[in-house]
Amino acid sequence: MTPSLPDILVGNFLCLAEAPPPESAGEFTAGKVGATALLSLLAAQEAERGLTARVWENGAIRALVSDAAPDYGQGFAEAASGPDGDFSLASLDRVNALLRRALISLHEAVEAAGDTARDQAILRLYRDMAHARRLDMPPLPGR
Amino acid sequence: MTLAERLEAYLTRHFGAPTTVRDLSRIPGGASRETYRFDAVIDGAVRPLILRRDPAASLIETDRSLEYLAFQSFHDRAPVPEPIVLEAEGAELERPFFIMARVDGGAAASPFTVQPYGAHAQAIGEAFFAALGAIAATDPAGLPLARAATMPAPGDCWRVALDHWADVIEADEQHPQPIVRAAIRRLRRAPPPPAAAVRVVHGDYRTGNFLHDGQGKILAILDWEMAHLGDPLEDLAWAIDPLWGHYDETRVGGMIPESEALAIWSHTSGLSIDPDALAWWRLFSAVKGQAIWTSAAREYRDGGFKDPVLAFSGWYTARRHDQILADGLMRLEGLS
Repeated sequence: MTPSLPDILVGNFLCLAEAPPPESAGEFTAGKVGATALLSLLAAQEAERGLTARVWENGAIRALVSDAAPDYGQGFAEAASGPDGDFSLASLDRVNALLRRALISLHEAVEAAGDTARDQAILRLYRDMAHARRLDMPPLPGR
Repeated sequence: MTLAERLEAYLTRHFGAPTTVRDLSRIPGGASRETYRFDAVIDGAVRPLILRRDPAASLIETDRSLEYLAFQSFHDRAPVPEPIVLEAEGAELERPFFIMARVDGGAAASPFTVQPYGAHAQAIGEAFFAALGAIAATDPAGLPLARAATMPAPGDCWRVALDHWADVIEADEQHPQPIVRAAIRRLRRAPPPPAAAVRVVHGDYRTGNFLHDGQGKILAILDWEMAHLGDPLEDLAWAIDPLWGHYDETRVGGMIPESEALAIWSHTSGLSIDPDALAWWRLFSAVKGQAIWTSAAREYRDGGFKDPVLAFSGWYTARRHDQILADGLMRLEGLS
């Protein structure tokens, strides 16, 4: 899940800070300003919901992976054992990357084992993860 | 020298006559190439033209010669602008580019607006899917594009396409993506039947990639930068992907109901649509999208976070396609 919220906000500054060359000053720059404005709007959603979504996702993956450990190996229990850290976005994302890698490995093992019940549980988790991370686009008028 | 001066130097040499460049202006769109509109004045005659130049960084790595050959292949068969010249080495413009005729008087809809086609949605939708069907009806043998594009066997189209985009994700991923990886494994476990025919695939045929006149007529099909030979269902599935729905679940591409779109395409292409094959290509479309957005995120970082289109692609559209992928996996397993 990249770019991060700081990437977007720093990027919004950088892309507006440079004066465009003469041939890009018209329609192209207008489009760039519009895109930057839209990114700022979405960044507000991420600022409001991003921490909650990450804390929830990390907890949900931990629960699913540790629950599977008795059947799929203690390595999964160890992968699920770490804390979230200091609850900054960067710290939560570092832990999330480890947990997601464990989830990918578990899902591959579940598919190989033909474990339908656990496969379906993982698919439901994917649906919920995608929903929690969603960004809602405002309904912009057509032209 | 300014870009206009360099372009004048090149065109004077190319046309063999003194040429001036007027009203050179970069325009949005075509995220893999810098796109400019301008008028070339050659011996007093005005030619409205478009310059497509390789950027320092791009949304997707594409073959400009294939894009140019795609324009050559279809400009006299469909509403496609006439290509003028390709300079693979860049010449006076320092980066590779090509020039094509400009089609004036049209607008391209943003995919993220509501009801962009207004009262003309039905007419545009019918023309849009008929044009795609006409592309799928064309035997690629003898087309300029066939000189350079690889011709896959009908049974290999799915594998070639999936391998390509899975490799892109493998190369460009910065944060683990379990959903798209599950979709890739699902697609490999249950491949589609062989392509009914191997045809030219536009590669990015969707709302927003054509000009329309505001009265229901399509003026120009653009952005052939991902053109290749493959299963024509690849284009059809991409065109009806929910990402391009303009927030309208009852009409594909914000134009017409899906059943009508499929019927028009099938009638015009002369190809039947295997439901299992289309289901496979639909899930593939979301994988392909996620691969493109994964590259966009990497390019955004590598380019110093300065391009908001790359940011939007690597962020909003990536998350939207994760939702589409997760829903698609649930549907294929009978869970929704």
